[in-house]
Amino acid sequence: MAGTVKYMSPEWRDEAEKRLKSELTPEKMKHITTSMCCIYQNCPDGKQRYYFVKTENGSLVEVSIGDQEPPKAEFILTADYETFAKLTRGELSGRAALMGRKLTLNGNLIKALKLSTVADRMNKVLSAIPTEY
Amino acid sequence: MNTMLNQTNKTTDPYFIDFPKRIKSIQEMMQGRGIDVYLGSRLRTISWTVDVFCPWRSYIVIPKKGLPTVFTFLIDATRIGHDSWLDEEHVLGYGPVGGQDQITILSNKILEYLNKGKGKVGIESGMSNYLPEGNLTHYEYDKLAEALPDVELVNAHDIVDELSMIKDKGTMNRFREASRIVDIGHQVVYEAINGGGWKGMTETEIAGLAAYAMRKAGSEFEWSFTAGNEIASGYRTGLAQGACTPASRKKLKAGEPLMVDLHAMFKLGLGDHTHNYLLSPATERQKWHAQNFVALVKLVLKAYGPGATPSSLADKMLEFAEDHDFIEFVVPGCEHGIGMMGDEWRIGMNDGPFEYWTNPDHVYQAGEMVICAMQYACPEENIGFRYENPIIITDRGCEPLSKFPLRIEEI
Repeated sequence: MAGTVKYMSPEWRDEAEKRLKSELTPEKMKHITTSMCCIYQNCPDGKQRYYFVKTENGSLVEVSIGDQEPPKAEFILTADYETFAKLTRGELSGRAALMGRKLTLNGNLIKALKLSTVADRMNKVLSAIPTEY
Repeated sequence: MNTMLNQTNKTTDPYFIDFPKRIKSIQEMMQGRGIDVYLGSRLRTISWTVDVFCPWRSYIVIPKKGLPTVFTFLIDATRIGHDSWLDEEHVLGYGPVGGQDQITILSNKILEYLNKGKGKVGIESGMSNYLPEGNLTHYEYDKLAEALPDVELVNAHDIVDELSMIKDKGTMNRFREASRIVDIGHQVVYEAINGGGWKGMTETEIAGLAAYAMRKAGSEFEWSFTAGNEIASGYRTGLAQGACTPASRKKLKAGEPLMVDLHAMFKLGLGDHTHNYLLSPATERQKWHAQNFVALVKLVLKAYGPGATPSSLADKMLEFAEDHDFIEFVVPGCEHGIGMMGDEWRIGMNDGPFEYWTNPDHVYQAGEMVICAMQYACPEENIGFRYENPIIITDRGCEPLSKFPLRIEEI
């Protein structure tokens, strides 16, 4: 990859998928089967976007972004674009965002907490993508 | 894995309760009233529907059809999911996390069951003399109303009250076992204090001895909110109108009465039995008080049965006390309500002259349970006695569940 990619652009999605697949083995992903959809509100262009990931037995099977109706997911996380940007840059932890009411979770909280380490690992991979926010 | 601590799911299990059937019976009553979702918050409702002791603020959301979902404080949700008949998808935790606080998580779940956010939701509101009752608070009500603007919130606790009034076989058997355990506690206390063993002991020590014996026998909790096992001696037995005696550090003394009120819990069935003693040497006057009380308890136990009412029982009791010249020592009343953990005090439905108190004209039916609870107090002489025993109203009378002999002996 040369240079930077724009956050939440198709290029960013491609890079995210490539890195997640290569850096996170099913073991590191705890062999989980789940899906998560992040709803980005108040994006810079005023739109709402989603970022969707789906895993099966720890293998990434889908990474998608869009500004249409978001897909159904086991966990839905909703926040402002800026909050997600801070999360991806590693400037804000998921726990702090949730407990500070900057991020809302829809889904089974107990399961979500069990999967929080996996989410942190995924976020760490994303944070290494040279990105223009 | 759901091991269902309280449930074996076999109809051969004497403690089996058909919880899915209970939910269906609630849903049938909801349908009759046009209620789309029932939001239970009282401890009695949670016990009666979930079959797990839920010490933290908990809620149950019951849709018109299908399984309910329980919401409890995050730190206890996994245990409840493990111990309940419900699977982990239907036991969720709430906490101070975006989208997971009580109001958001409840309103989101309720909205899942409503058409375009509109409908009628049954809630549990009211008042109680019992602190852990668990009615919806004013704050919860306001916030839910705000989160569900097109929803009509209606008070519907009487649905569960009505359905839980007549006890099923499994419930009765759980209470029978809890009483058997309480009797073990009484036997251990008797053996420890008899023959002068009481000397140097405190009330708290007796409470602990009994608790240990009952725990060894399988009790899960000295469940009473009145500080567990209630032990009183001397003047504490005779407090005017008193019927609540958390054990104190008071040492037992010769010539004083001793009241031992033990509580055990077995699968949310509750044991509650009081036995009284006179610590030697007892005076003739003390023995006279003791005889009065035992005679009164016997009379009342004989009077229970279908058709009796709290009023009719109190009348009989007071008439007897008047005839035998000890009416001034009798606390007027001989029972309080009981059900699975969290269901205490009020008897029957909320249909009496004072709202949320027992209707004195409530007519007992076979299958109901109460704690026969009587108190005798003579503060001037520092003496008093208590009797408590869970009883099942039968076709012809009543079945006292604790079998510890009814007597007040001098030890």
